[in-house]
Amino acid sequence: MERELILLWCAISVYVLAGVIAIFGVVLGKRPERTVLATLIIALLLHGISILMRWDRLDHGPYLTMFEILSSNVWSLLFLYSIAYWRYRPIRPTSAIVLPLMFVMMGWLMLSSPGEGHLPPTYDTTWLVIHILFGKVFLGSVLIAVGMAGVILLRRYKLGTHRLSRLPSDQRLDDLAFRFMALGLIFDTLMLIAGAIWAQDAWGRYWAWDRLETWSFLTWLFLAFSLHLRVTYRPQPVRDAVMIMVVFLLAFLTFFGVPFVTTVPHQGAV
Amino acid sequence: MTMTQQTANGHFPREQIYRIRAGVWHALVRMGSLRLTLWLFILFALCIAGYYFGGQQHNGLIITPLLLLSLNLLATIATHTTFRRQVPLLVFHLALLGMLLLLVLGRLTYLKGEAEVTSGSDFEGLLNSIDAGPLHHWPGSKLHFHLTDFSIDYAPGVQRDATRAQVSWQDSVGNTHQGIVGDQLPLVLDNYRFYTTHNKGFAALFQWHPQGAMAQAGSIHFPSYPANEYKQAQSWVLPGTRHEVWSQLDFDELILDPQNTSQFRPPVEHQLILRSGSERHLLRPGQTLQLAQGRLHYQGLGTWMGFRVFYDWTLPWLLATVLLAVLSLGWHYWVKAAARPWLNDEELS
Repeated sequence: MERELILLWCAISVYVLAGVIAIFGVVLGKRPERTVLATLIIALLLHGISILMRWDRLDHGPYLTMFEILSSNVWSLLFLYSIAYWRYRPIRPTSAIVLPLMFVMMGWLMLSSPGEGHLPPTYDTTWLVIHILFGKVFLGSVLIAVGMAGVILLRRYKLGTHRLSRLPSDQRLDDLAFRFMALGLIFDTLMLIAGAIWAQDAWGRYWAWDRLETWSFLTWLFLAFSLHLRVTYRPQPVRDAVMIMVVFLLAFLTFFGVPFVTTVPHQGAV
Repeated sequence: MTMTQQTANGHFPREQIYRIRAGVWHALVRMGSLRLTLWLFILFALCIAGYYFGGQQHNGLIITPLLLLSLNLLATIATHTTFRRQVPLLVFHLALLGMLLLLVLGRLTYLKGEAEVTSGSDFEGLLNSIDAGPLHHWPGSKLHFHLTDFSIDYAPGVQRDATRAQVSWQDSVGNTHQGIVGDQLPLVLDNYRFYTTHNKGFAALFQWHPQGAMAQAGSIHFPSYPANEYKQAQSWVLPGTRHEVWSQLDFDELILDPQNTSQFRPPVEHQLILRSGSERHLLRPGQTLQLAQGRLHYQGLGTWMGFRVFYDWTLPWLLATVLLAVLSLGWHYWVKAAARPWLNDEELS
């Protein structure tokens, strides 16, 4: 276990380094994008090895304890963000917003106990893995949109107007952000379907409006609402950006907040 | 006050028909408004919050906004030609409507139940608890299977692991099948799904020889174990009489070791404490007790398994409809993304 934790600490240090470089890049008007990408890849590799070592040792995926869930989410979210970072060059400065956001999760991860959990029989199914993977893509898509929404919002302030001027216009950022939100809606729906299939065989019902299911559905509903609102009213990018932030907040609370206050078998992160 | 005018032959004047049509169309347009959809989304969210936080869960809180959203969608399809032209988006919304219809049908015909079956005996359609839709008809003894035995692994800390129940059943043409079912691997008989549960325990197996009547075999299920480890007692009535007896399972053996891995099993050494009226008896496997009402022969200790029964014939259709919805949504956004590339070449370079 010690080696896994050492690797994790190293990975987090490198993530922080990537974040610091990204922030300085934006503040100083530089473009250290290749360095940030290379640093992110190194951190992901170290972190990935740490997760795999734990997986091999415990013989189950990283989805039982809060430590495992935070760790795997930090990895998957940054993996998806790195793909977007590599693919969409003009939005790379959003890393100065996304990486500090991830620091919060990393701090939480460092405070969590790395102890082992017991794999309940209801968790021993492929559908759980599929459910989790879809959930990660959903949250990752919304996180990428959050990066762009953050730029739109920061541009309302003096610092942002100047430092983030290199990025595409608000309208174009808004357009791309909502494509990621649409992708999020598809994967959120798939996550709910896979979860329902899992729940059917785990607890003999596919939906029971338990606390986690209710909040997951509210998140889906709010995401669908934000997409409908955009089509119907065509609001200003800044209002869309606020909607994206609200969806992310709701999704984040559903993923990491609700499990703390629920006692139903479907506990999620605890 | 306006009155409907009719011509002498009983028909409405053409002008009035146009006016009614225009009125209906106007109402449809208003009902199919996309702005109304947004308000209905908000209403739905509030109703879910009410359903969840309210003390009593009224199904109306879920059904009403869904019904309104369905009407809104139907009106939108009828009045928005641009909506009808976007085939993937139309398919997505129609799939959502189909899903709603299936959910309603499912709620009318579903069944959730619980049954306890003694190892080595048959399930013959008797449910301990039942919760079913108004149109469900429980087939009773037509559903039949035999529970041969089951095993449950326990991890240290008395944490339940995999449950494997060996069952056999006959299909509609009389062929016998055998299989293993578990918490997540149901036995499916005529769309009824039987899952094992955490609910299981010990069963005292008896033969009862009443005075002047045929002997019969039966079992008494002690409360679920280990949840009721220190309450292994049960009151029951001797078959064919009104005489109640009380029995308690007495053993000192450690069945589930908190320190190590273990398996659920009956104790090797045990005795039954049986109280009939003011008399107290001790019974070991193979012993017989003579009572005023008849002879009670204690055969030994077995186990029982609690099964969860679930029926909803809409499940495969629901899955197909939801997948269709997701595919069409993906198709819609794919078409949109292809039609309007986000970045021009200049920005990409």
